Amino acid sequence: MKSIVCIKYVPDTSEAEVKVNPDGKTVDDSRFSFDINDADNYAVEESVLIKEDKGGEVDVLSIGPKQSEVMIRMAMAKGCDRAVRVEDDRIADHDPLMVAKVLAGAIKDKEFDLILTGCWADDYGHMSTGVALAEYLGVNHASMVKKVEVLDGKVRAHRELEGGLMEVVELELPAVLTIQTGINEPRYAPIRGIRQAQKKELNVVSLDDLGIDPAEVGSEASQVVLENLYIPEVESAAEFIEGEPDEKADKLASILVKGGLV
Amino acid sequence: MSTESLTFTEKYDLLGCIQCGRCTGGCPVTVRADLNVRQFVNDAYDEEKLDELARLAEIWDCTACHTCAVRCPKGLKPLEVLIGLRSLIVESGKVEPRVRDALQSVLLEGNPWEKSRAMRQDWMEGLDVRIAEPGEYVENLFFVCCTNAYDPRVQVTAKNMVKILNKTGVDYAFLPEDESCCGSEVFTLGEEGLFEMLVEDNTEFLNEFSAGRIVTLSPHCFTTYKTHFPDLKHPVIHYTQLMDELIQEGKLAWKGELPKKIVYHDPCYLGKQGGIFDEPRRILKSIPGVELLEFNRSRERSLCCEGGGGKMWVESESRKERLADTRIKDAKAMGADLVAAACPFCILTLEDAMKGLGYEEEMRVAEIMELLGEFVEV
Repeated sequence: MKSIVCIKYVPDTSEAEVKVNPDGKTVDDSRFSFDINDADNYAVEESVLIKEDKGGEVDVLSIGPKQSEVMIRMAMAKGCDRAVRVEDDRIADHDPLMVAKVLAGAIKDKEFDLILTGCWADDYGHMSTGVALAEYLGVNHASMVKKVEVLDGKVRAHRELEGGLMEVVELELPAVLTIQTGINEPRYAPIRGIRQAQKKELNVVSLDDLGIDPAEVGSEASQVVLENLYIPEVESAAEFIEGEPDEKADKLASILVKGGLV
Repeated sequence: MSTESLTFTEKYDLLGCIQCGRCTGGCPVTVRADLNVRQFVNDAYDEEKLDELARLAEIWDCTACHTCAVRCPKGLKPLEVLIGLRSLIVESGKVEPRVRDALQSVLLEGNPWEKSRAMRQDWMEGLDVRIAEPGEYVENLFFVCCTNAYDPRVQVTAKNMVKILNKTGVDYAFLPEDESCCGSEVFTLGEEGLFEMLVEDNTEFLNEFSAGRIVTLSPHCFTTYKTHFPDLKHPVIHYTQLMDELIQEGKLAWKGELPKKIVYHDPCYLGKQGGIFDEPRRILKSIPGVELLEFNRSRERSLCCEGGGGKMWVESESRKERLADTRIKDAKAMGADLVAAACPFCILTLEDAMKGLGYEEEMRVAEIMELLGEFVEV
């Protein structure tokens, strides 16, 4: 089983305040910590679990800066075998179709059975890259996958749909799966493993190295124009429930029932 | 011979154990968990059983309070056998998610709280804090500690320290934001490789500064630097030693009175591991109006709050009463109005226990620096 896992280095916006830069089109990332995109972390774990179960190899593919290499080394410490990091300022990385086109360009000459990636990224949250990648490569795909069963020449994917529905689909390989968080429990990459992973192959390439025309994946090619970023106005109302614990619980329960939340 | 080439038995000197039982006899955790450290020391001699032992949940119940090490007549550290077993799990990557995230955060951001390094000095906002420059001599070089830097409940320790130091004219500076975790909890969680890296990197970082001594705000940093950093060129003290000095020299002016019964809780890393028992008591007794009480289990026998040993990230499987609850109940029974401690983990665990027991209206848990901030002229 040959797998490729596509991962992204993203800011953690849960702690530091998100501030838009004066240009209105970028975010001040100076106070953020950066790490592997959450759903991609589950995709890495799933690819390693498949390798441990079925044998084979896992390649990592990522578009990102030099600083993201720690994330790539962690993935290799967990069991991925080699990596390619694409670094090129000319990619219109706000557009998932352009990102998918670059990933497809990096993959097109490789043999693979499965491509795994997170179902969405914590930065722009488009939920489109994996699906677009499958389209560019002309292979099957399933999104929001919560369980994977590798069969002979096929894969059975359990897709988590709205309202708690689980759809089970079988796909002929090769295929792209976009992985939902919670599919597994990602392991820890111990520092000794990260150090050993320094010996594994990590190639840094540009669009030119990949033979991709920058005009095809740059802002001129993109149909998405980033006009303006802004912080949505916060509208909130808080109600303090008074009374003895039993009364409070009753009131809270009736609010939840009336609001259709339980 | 490097430790890497030692067998488990050699590394932890298992053959030095005489199975006397003083370790288990003093272990505070045995009242609430199935942890029997003497048995682990015995069983770990069989190298083939190590993986099986490492999978037992109770190895994560140890709080690394060091009572077993203090009591061991052979000078062994039985708790480190448990840490060694934890490291087998860590190396396999199969640790609990909270432990995983804390360790990864230390590697990526220099703190276990999953906070950005860029936010490490946010606690300084609004304060006139002197920041150390490499090569520029300062008498007291402060290491803030990740928990004091990021946790809003205990940031007051560092804030009050700055206010008092500025008033007294003590020569001091805090380390700049590239300060990283001391590794205390990384060590006890069993991430040996990461801890070795922190010892190397922090030694190099701290030795760039010219200082009379390093002053730590947390006993965990204090003991870790003293015990595990052989090449650190500066002596290390805990802040209670500095505050005690200032009080003895008459450099702190008191304001108001605290007519309360205070019981002092000895943090394990300050007391039984750091040997600092008297300074915190002298500080508390100096506050006008204070009546200082003593727990039955105090000083070397102090009951652990269960905040150390990586337990801030590992929940015990035991549902029996937490030791912090026991501690607060004891304080209540002796009529204490306030439980004082000088450790961020003790404050967080004891205050949670106090709130959980519903004593919030009648009791208080406070860091010693919190009280000094309230009763010293600044």
